[in-house]
Amino acid sequence: MTASAARPLLEGHWTSESGGEGHAVFMAEGIHCANCARSIRRALDELPGVRRSEVNVAHGRVSVSWEPGRTDLGAILRRVAATGFRPVPLIGDAAAAAQKLERRAALKRIGLAAIGAMQLMMYAAGLWAGALQGIDPKIAEYLRWTCLLIATPVLFYSGAPILHGGLQDLRRRVLGMDVTVSLALLLAYGASAFNTMRGTGEVYFDSVAMFILFLLSGRYIEMRGRHQAASVTEALARSLPATVQRIDAVTGAVARAPLASVLEGDLLRVASGAVIPVDGSVIDGVALIDESLVTGESVPCRRGAGDALLGGSTNAGATFTMRAARRVDESTLHGLVRLLERAQGERPRLGIAAERMASWFVLRVLVLTALVGIVWLYVDPSMAMPAVLAVLVATCPCALSLATPVAIAAATARLAREGVLVVRADAVEGLATVDSVLLDKTGTLTVGRPEVTRVEVSCVEASYGEASRVEVSTGASPEPFTRHHALAIAAALERGSPHPIALAFRDHADPAIDCPDAHETAGFGLQGTVQGHVWRIGKPAFVRGLSTAVADDDLGAGVWLASDDGRSARFEIRDALRPDAADTVRALQQAGLEVRIASGDRPQTVADIAASLGLADAEGGMTPADKLARVRAAQAAGHRVLMVGDGINDGPVLAAADVSMAMGRGSPIAQAAGDLLLLRDSLAALPVAVRVARNALQRVRQNLRWAAGYNIAAIPLAALGFMPPWAAALGMSLSSLLVVFNARRSLDAGAADREHRR
Amino acid sequence: MNSIYLLIPLSLLLVGVAVWAFFWAVNRGQFESLEDPAEAALEEDPLSEDADPPRQ
Repeated sequence: MTASAARPLLEGHWTSESGGEGHAVFMAEGIHCANCARSIRRALDELPGVRRSEVNVAHGRVSVSWEPGRTDLGAILRRVAATGFRPVPLIGDAAAAAQKLERRAALKRIGLAAIGAMQLMMYAAGLWAGALQGIDPKIAEYLRWTCLLIATPVLFYSGAPILHGGLQDLRRRVLGMDVTVSLALLLAYGASAFNTMRGTGEVYFDSVAMFILFLLSGRYIEMRGRHQAASVTEALARSLPATVQRIDAVTGAVARAPLASVLEGDLLRVASGAVIPVDGSVIDGVALIDESLVTGESVPCRRGAGDALLGGSTNAGATFTMRAARRVDESTLHGLVRLLERAQGERPRLGIAAERMASWFVLRVLVLTALVGIVWLYVDPSMAMPAVLAVLVATCPCALSLATPVAIAAATARLAREGVLVVRADAVEGLATVDSVLLDKTGTLTVGRPEVTRVEVSCVEASYGEASRVEVSTGASPEPFTRHHALAIAAALERGSPHPIALAFRDHADPAIDCPDAHETAGFGLQGTVQGHVWRIGKPAFVRGLSTAVADDDLGAGVWLASDDGRSARFEIRDALRPDAADTVRALQQAGLEVRIASGDRPQTVADIAASLGLADAEGGMTPADKLARVRAAQAAGHRVLMVGDGINDGPVLAAADVSMAMGRGSPIAQAAGDLLLLRDSLAALPVAVRVARNALQRVRQNLRWAAGYNIAAIPLAALGFMPPWAAALGMSLSSLLVVFNARRSLDAGAADREHRR
Repeated sequence: MNSIYLLIPLSLLLVGVAVWAFFWAVNRGQFESLEDPAEAALEEDPLSEDADPPRQ
């Protein structure tokens, strides 16, 4: 991809100029460690005109701010390319295609290494057996040449990324894990090839192939997670339409225009069900706007002429005309994207710590290896090569590097069976260490769909003067006008209505009761004829126009229904709690987690929900920024926060929390932004997930202890020459196997308790 | 004893075939998604004229 080809894509959505500053976010292929990130950052900071640059290792994402006029995006992209990383636009097919190619190449490398390693092990077994029982030297030589033949493509094709990484590290004068690994691989391969040609001595080809296979597998797991994470912003961008219907101010003709070309003051037509492209205001018509994507508000609201509209919200009503107040890159949704980007940019401190530790470890291993080699050269030159190789192989952090990914992969598989999808590699680790849970309300604790929670019917004729109010729970109701009857009439009236309240009645429809002439008075309610009587449903003020049975002091979220013959009903409609919400909250508290609610919904509603769940700590009416501040404050107080939510407004908060979980049935954006996804429309898996993650982390710690123990025990043996390289490789493989089996235990434990449940 | 001189080239051939087959499968996108193809069978077929031949 050339810089110029990347331009239109980038400048369409992902570059913007604000406050005299250009800003762009793109992906750079090949970033796999903190050192890569540092070198890109250094190269960009040296470029005149670049104000700020941030590189996110976890997502392979680069974000730059520059001074327009002194430099441009092309120069920045060229600079990144010159550093050895391929810049790729964040959105569109190019990024997906690049990821696909990267994934395929990695798979082929792993496949070749696996097949090669298998084959080499077989030949090596022959050589080992021969070493013990005696073997025809000719056959031994034949086997060694065969091994060389297979090991060569394995090292130079499969191992290419490792060797390349080691070379890059050396060029940048930093010590990464790749340096020692490459050194061990090249030394082992070189010595083996030399011995093969010489016709005598040890060969280590099988160790080379096995080593490469293990390393590549770990990296593949890591890469897949990164690819999934990169789709976040893509999803956000996709929630906006690519084109808009622009109305010519002079002729009034409607024409399609690209989203990026919308300017302040343009008149736009927004079709029913379409997404509002930019911030703006209603010009004519009454708009019914579903802002749940942007603000998390569950109930769509009505907007009349002159009222403000948020870009990214959905037109839940009829077609209307709006005036654009801002360009797309200055609109609220775009601001949310930025917030999301920034929050994500602040993450990878864990990776940096690991990298620093690896660098520390590598330096010591190299010094130790050199010392061992020098000492042996004086003591017994023939032992120098085996001892050096043994030390390099024995210190190979194979088991160390496998310890985490394997346990995490096992936990991931177990979680997937529970309906929890792990989107990011560090999510399991994060989930195991959280001590505080922040729950969103709408769509998380609640089902995100309005429901009738209470029906009061009254029949003025039946007991004139004192309307008998009957609650659902009591069961009794006056004969002529039952709760079911009221619900069925309401359902008939609301049948054709696009208003979300209509959803609440849909389940109560009765095919025998029909209302063919229902018509809507926007913002108030509906009127129609049912079974010979005129009925109205909606706001109290509207329904009062038909029947005085309606109380005019109704302050709650009540919907009224009344007929022209004095029958009336009041419905309370609420977004109902999930049936498993209370159990989930209790289970989380039992697991030692502090549970809180943070919601953008009305404070009173949130307080009610919190009270019914027995939670003291709940806050309503929060903006995304408030929630973000809340998470930050908890983190500053030393808490590790799990955020559970859905809706884009949670996106930045999800990204800033130590670990985040999104409801899979929520908006696609939140799905992508969460570290974990709840695939089932239920919270029950949440406490289970925490338990599985804690179990996995415990397994990781056990594995690390074992791997470190093996390395510490093996290094002196190897350095003193008691351990030939094949034994070091065998020990390394055994320690790796042990680690893998230990990690798999968590998977099997899961299978057992599944069996039990059945 | 000398059978090994035949068997090892044979094993190399087999390795070659295995690697070729794996590369072929990767290039054909067989490993792109391990879930979607299983569910693809449940999706509606795109409407076409002769998808459902009329019964005689």
